[in-house]
Formats: sequence, C-alpha cells, structure tokens
Amino acid sequence: MNMIVCVKRVPDTAESEVHIDASGRDIDKSRLSFGINECDNYAVEEAIQIKEKLGGKVTVISLGGKENDEVIRMALAKGGDDAIRLDDPAFAGSDGFAVAKALAAAIKDLEYDIVFTGALADDDGYAVVPVALAELLGVPHATYVKDLEILEDGKRARVGRELEGGLMEYLEIELPCVLGIQTGINEPRYASFKGIKQAAKKEIVVKSAADLGLDPSEVGEAGSWAILEKFSVPEVGEMAEILQGDPEETAAKLAQILKEKGLI
Amino acid sequence: MKDIFVLMEHRRGELRDISLEMLCGASQLGGNVVAVLLGSGVDSFAEKAAGYADKVLYVDDPMFENYNSEAYQKALSALIKEHQPGLVLIGNTAQGVDMAPALAVELGAPLVTDIIALEMEGDKPKPTRQFYGGKLNAHMTLKDAGMYILTVREATFQVGEPTKSGEIVKVENPVKEEITYRKFVEYVEPEVGEVDITQSTMLVGVGRGIREDKNLPIVEELAKVLGADLAASRAVVDAGWLPPDRQVGISGKTVKPKLYLAVGISGAFQHVTGMKGSELIVAINKDPDAPIFSIADYGIVDDLFKVVPKLTEKIKELKGA
Amino acid sequence: MSAEEISFIEKYDLLGCIQCGRCTGGCPVSMRTHLNVRRFMYDTQNEERLEELSERPEIWDCTTCYTCAARCPKGLEPLEVLIGLRSLQIEEGRIQPTVRDALESIFKDGNPWGSPRAKRLDWVGDLDVKVLEPEAEEVTDVLLFVCCTDAYDPRVMKVAQSLVKVLQAAGVDFGIIGEDESCCGSEVRRLGEEGLFEMCDEENVELLNSFNVNRIVTISPHCYNTLKKEYHGLRHPVLHYTELVAQLLEDGKLTLNKEIGKVVTYHDPCFLGKQNSIYDEPRYIITRIPGVEFREFDRCRERSLCCEGGGGKMWVESESKAERLAEIRVTDAKEMGAEVIAVACPFCLLTLEDATKVRGIEEEMRVADILELLAEAL
Repeated sequence: MNMIVCVKRVPDTAESEVHIDASGRDIDKSRLSFGINECDNYAVEEAIQIKEKLGGKVTVISLGGKENDEVIRMALAKGGDDAIRLDDPAFAGSDGFAVAKALAAAIKDLEYDIVFTGALADDDGYAVVPVALAELLGVPHATYVKDLEILEDGKRARVGRELEGGLMEYLEIELPCVLGIQTGINEPRYASFKGIKQAAKKEIVVKSAADLGLDPSEVGEAGSWAILEKFSVPEVGEMAEILQGDPEETAAKLAQILKEKGLI
Repeated sequence: MKDIFVLMEHRRGELRDISLEMLCGASQLGGNVVAVLLGSGVDSFAEKAAGYADKVLYVDDPMFENYNSEAYQKALSALIKEHQPGLVLIGNTAQGVDMAPALAVELGAPLVTDIIALEMEGDKPKPTRQFYGGKLNAHMTLKDAGMYILTVREATFQVGEPTKSGEIVKVENPVKEEITYRKFVEYVEPEVGEVDITQSTMLVGVGRGIREDKNLPIVEELAKVLGADLAASRAVVDAGWLPPDRQVGISGKTVKPKLYLAVGISGAFQHVTGMKGSELIVAINKDPDAPIFSIADYGIVDDLFKVVPKLTEKIKELKGA
Repeated sequence: MSAEEISFIEKYDLLGCIQCGRCTGGCPVSMRTHLNVRRFMYDTQNEERLEELSERPEIWDCTTCYTCAARCPKGLEPLEVLIGLRSLQIEEGRIQPTVRDALESIFKDGNPWGSPRAKRLDWVGDLDVKVLEPEAEEVTDVLLFVCCTDAYDPRVMKVAQSLVKVLQAAGVDFGIIGEDESCCGSEVRRLGEEGLFEMCDEENVELLNSFNVNRIVTISPHCYNTLKKEYHGLRHPVLHYTELVAQLLEDGKLTLNKEIGKVVTYHDPCFLGKQNSIYDEPRYIITRIPGVEFREFDRCRERSLCCEGGGGKMWVESESKAERLAEIRVTDAKEMGAEVIAVACPFCLLTLEDATKVRGIEEEMRVADILELLAEAL
C-alpha cells in the first residue's frame, strides 16, 4: 500500500490570544508556537498504522518554508519514508484550492493507493483540500473520515464518515482515493526526539512551482478562489453578565442565581 | 441578477434545517431562489421547500435515497450547466463539505467555505468566514467569475414563515451511469452510554481547560451536587477523558437543558452549535475573550480550579439550607 | 538492535547485581503495584526479553524516588533500569497520551502543561519582579528558576508568589528569566525521553550561562537536582530555596513577625532529602516560624515515604487501585495530630493536597509549601 500524507504546519492558537498585525490580513505570530495541524497528525498515524499492517511506503508532503521541516521530520520519525516540501514564494497567500493545486501537481506522478490529508486546518478552517485534491487528481474521495478499513482485495476500502450528531456514514470506496481524516480516528503515537534527529538524515526533496510545472499565476494568491481582504475581531453579541469578585464571591453569587432560577 | 441555487440537504427521511435556513438567506439577496432537491420519493420536502423558494428543481431517483457526493456532484453540475445560476449555496455540513470543493474545481467556480455572513456587491458575493477557531472574522474577496459557490455554516440564517409558493419542477435525473467507485453502505448510530445527555435537565460541560482527566473529580463533584450530568467538548472526548456519548457539538449531541454550565470551554463554534439552545448558559473560563461569554447568560472570568470547588461548596450550603 | 542491548547490560552494570532484594524491600510503590525492581535487574540481563519487559505497565509505576539506589549495597541504580525500559517505549512512540502530550508540549512550548510560552509570566500578577537581560553588565545576586508547575498551575503559583514576597522582604537582589524560561527536563529524563532531555540540558545551560548572576535558586527540588547534578557545563552554583532562606534567617535578614499557631509536620521531598541530603534547612526554617509546634513523621528524612509525584508520575495513571502513598501520608499526619503538612516541592504539594480531598480531610488538614507559611508569617 503506497500512501501519501499531506501535513500542514499551523500556529497553536487554542490557548493563546490572537492579535491582528499591521497589514490587517495576518496575525502577529511572534509569540505563538507552531506544530502539525491536529487532523493531519491523525492522518499521519493512520497511514503509518496501515503501513505497519499491510506494508508499503509513506511519503510526507508539506507546503511551506524550511520551518516546515520540523513537522515533516516528526512524521518521518513516526514511520514516514520519503518527504517532499513544496516551497516557492509564489505559494504565498494560497487558499485551499491553490494548496490543492500545488499538492496535485506534486502527487500526480507518484504511485499511490491512498492520499491522506486532514479534514480541515486549525488556522483557516477551509476544509477544501482533500475534496479539491481528489477532483484534481481524478480519483474518488471521502472526508471527515473517522473509521477506515482496507478491504481484503486491497483495491477498496470501507470508510466511516462522521456526520453531525456523531452518526457514522459508511461507504465503500475504490482505491486510489483521497481521504480527509478527522480527529479521533486513532491515537497518534509519540515521535521521540532521537527519532526526529535521525529523521533529519533523510532527504526532504524541495520542489518549486516551476519544478511542479505550475505557472505563478496558478498558485498562491493569484491562483486562489478567494483572497482574505482583512481580519476583524468578531463582534460579541450580548455578552454574559460577568460576575465580579474573588472565587468565594463569584461562586456565592452564581449559586444564588441558580437558586433563584429554581435550579437548586 | 441571476438565479441562486440552494442545495437541499436531507438525511434518513428528514429535511435538514440548513436547507430552509439557506433558502431564507438567499431570499434576502435578490434574484430568483431555486431549491435543488435530489432525493427519492421526497415530495413532502419539495412542498416544504416551495414555501421558501421561487422554484424547486426536484430530481426523484433511487440513486439519491442516501447521500453520495459523487452522484450529487454529477447531478448538480449538469443542472448548473443547464440553468446557469449566478450563485450556489450548499450547507457547510458533512455532506456539503464532502462535495462542494470538487464541484467548484469541476466547474471552475470560486468557492468560499463555512461562511457566517453574506453581502452582495452586484452579482458578486462578499462573504465573511472565521479563522483560528472563531477568534477572528475574515472578510473574503472572491475572484471574478460567472458563478460562485458558498458553503454556509448552520444557523447563519434564521428560518421564517413560508411566504412563497414556488413551482415544483420535476426533472429527469441527468446522471445516467451507476456510480461504482463510491457506494453508500449503511449508517451506524453512535454508541449510547448509560446517560443520554440530550435528555438531561442540567449539564456541566467540561472543556480543555480541565487539563487532565485526573482533574475530572472536581467537576464530577459539582455535577453530583447539582444533580447534573457531565457533557464534554470534542477535545475532552478525543483525549479519551469522557466517552463519545457525552460530546456536545456538531459531531456530537445537540442539547437543550435547563442549565448548561460550561467549565473550561472556550466556546468554539462546533461546540456552541450543540448547546446554544440551552435555557440558561453559565460559563467559567479564565480567558475573558473566550467566545463562550458571548453566548452565556452569566460568566465568571477566573480559574476554574478555584471557582468550581467553591461553587460546589456554595451549592451544598444552599441545598442544605 | 544487538548493540543497543549489549549497552543495556553495560549501561546499568546489571551483572554487578547480587539479587539481594534490598531494592524491592525498600521500594515504596511495591506496596501498591506489581513493580518488583529486583526482578527487572535480573530479567533485563536477557537481551531478548527487553522488548517484552518494556511493555510491562508497572515500569511506569516507578516514582524514581531513589530509595532502591540508596539501599543498594553494590552501588547500583535499579531505577535507571526502569527508565531505560521506558526509553525503549518512547522510541517506539508507544506511550500514554498524557505522557505524549506533556513531552510534545515541552518540545513546543517549553513546559509540560500544554500552555503557551506567552502565559509563562501569568503567575507574576501584580508583583514587581525583575526580568533579567542576558549578558547584562550589572550582576544580579540570584536568578530565580521558576518550575513550570509553579508558573502555570494555579495552585502552585501561590508558592512562587510567596517566594517573591519572602525574597523582597529579605532585600535579596533577584530576577527571573521570563518567557524564555523552559522546562528543566527532570521529568523528561525520568520518562525515558533521553534525546529531549539532552535538548533541555544544552539549551538551558546556554541560556542560564548567559545571565550575569551569582547563583541560581530553584523552587522545585526536581529542577534543583537536574540543574545541579545532571546538566553539563552550567557555570553558576545552584541552590534550593530552602538553602537560601535558611541562610537569610540565620543572617538575620529575614524577620518573621506573625504567629502561625499550628501543629506543623514536614514531608521530605525525595529529590531534596534522599537524593540531595537537604534535611536540616527545611526544618530550621519551619521551627523559626513563630507559633509553630513542629512534629516529625515517623517515616522521615532518609526513610520519608514518597508522595508518588515524581518520575513523570504527574502524567502517568497507575493501574493500581490500591491506596495511594500520598493518602497514607496524610492519614499518618492526621494521626499524629498535625494541622499542616509543610512541603518544599510542587509535586508533593499537589499530590498530598489531592490526597486530603480524597480522604475528605481537606478542612482539617492543610498542605502548604514552606514558602506559603513564611509569606504568611512576614
């Protein structure tokens, strides 16, 4: 089973404050830490578990600058075999479509049974890449995949998609295909520091837009469906009434409110 | 202005809310609103849609009994090519997201996903969507094109009373060949645990702020004193700290208890969707900018590890009194 | 693989073991789990069994308290064999998700608590604390190395805040690193993540050496032990805060005015007592607090019972349902009539305080760091 996993490096904003930068189109990332996109981490694990079970090869692809090597190496340390980084100033400002085009150009000449991506990105949340990529490659797809079983003939897979309300939709899909992986499909393993260092010895093939046969007008902001004009801070609706005081006081106030509402 | 196509979404014999929401949203934009319904023997959905649309294009074929993105894409692309709408609205749901990007690639139509607000500049949509888990709004400019596709977040538009009575036009299924490379097999219900949180009158929702599963006892204690059940955000369930049947949100349960007490939950859209219908929402979070405070009725901006034990204590006192 | 296995025997001098069993005899966790460290000393001599042994859940029960090593007549360190087995699991990536998350968080954000670096100074609050500049011309006397747990854990933050108040009251010239401060790596090494520990060692030594200070003072005994004994090339002397504060009291630079009026006992942290022989300073400090009646645990000093907070145990859930050692500890304290258990370690503080809640005696038994008592007595 030959597999390709697409990984994205994203800033970790879950517990951090986010500030719009001077351009109004980006955020100040100087105080943020970065790591692999959460869904992508599950995608890497899924590919490696299949490789361990059925054999084959896992190729890791990421679009971005040299700083992406860290997440690539982490995936290599977990069991990835080869790595390609798509790096070109022309890729700047790519939306999901432009990213999918670059990935498709890199993947189309590779041998693969399954291309894995995360179902959506933690930063932009587009959720476009897996489905657009499949269309560009001309293969079937499924996204929000939370269960996967390669069927015995190795030519089809039983795929469980997670729908609203936690309902699972099962389908059978022919390989090769593209699968957008949802979190929770597996338990991602740890990449040891030693493993990451050893993975640094593996070559990461760097490809530019020209190497991929892409014209600058097809990629980046120019090749995107939409560009981000500006960010704004969401208007808060009617804000909650914030109870003031130390924990002793706020807890007492809240308990009183709950009592008044007949909840205690 | 050209027509606006709105894709009807249904599942297991139910027309999903997003369908009428989008029809109502589309009606505010100007232009003919055309509901596109792909289904099998779902005349009642066509009639319902007609109350909100100027026209209903209804393909009635067993192929569309269950959702299959490949069949949907083929049918929709044929109808679009025939009718040339200026805008196509699709739900930003597990169905819509599984199809819209492929359709956009096929038709060369710019797509923006997961929009939360929409204005028009002539024929061109100016959508707003969110980045960084809802921490920022992003105002998007689409490339010029003859047609645009948007996927719309659930609850972006309100459903009003039906004011239209669009013509229902049955059209022949444009998809002739059987789709063999992707086949629907079955639905599998999520496992039901001991507690059905959709039936709970009070819920204490636990989020990432709890940090570790061994901190759970402090919220369990609070829930016990309140007589509430524990619910969880996706992060807590993915971490395995609480079972999946406790998950509230888009991929979990939708709950409407009398009290939803959100502890250490930031209020990401995907969670909020599942609990915003609760009668009383109270949030405890140390981040004053946490989006949860914008939907909560009462909030405490403080460390949950300090507040929750105190709250448990105070409730015990009041109950004892 | 074979080169690695040969080095396993050599690395831990396994053939020097005489199987006397003093290690297991003294092992505190053997009271409540299947861990039999003597068996591991024997079984790991068989290279072919290493993988299987590394998959045994009980290797994660070890708290690395060092009792086994302290008791070994041959001078071996049996706990290190267990850490070595953990390393094999780490390399395979097969570890509990909580351990994985803690390690990834250290790699990414420099702390095991999954919090961003930008929040590392939240504990400071309204306090006026100097953030040191690297390569400053002026010498600062003390660099305060703040443990991640003190920086991020809301309960333990109070300990760091208390230390600031105490140092300010004593007129000590001190500063902190700020947001660039990173985890010392003590737990990293004990969880078996050798590579990541080497990174902590190299990066922290370079950072710490860049400050123009006379000495480094740590709050946690775990940081203390690591900085003092496990780092390579650190040019500043390292003190635990109990050493500094005891000196300040002795020199008359710190005056305590308020009465505490409680019966206080002291729980020796393994990393301060057993591993670094600091027994007298904490007792000296406690007994100088006005109105304190000091009582010793029966199991004290070298024989102190481990609280099970070390060895990475903050992130490992034991399969054993037997009574936790921390629960035994707080029960012992209650039986001897103590009202306060004083500690000098963030992990001891968290585990013992937790145990008072499990036992339902949190109303009558307070667990507090010595620094908190000091700050109250100022």
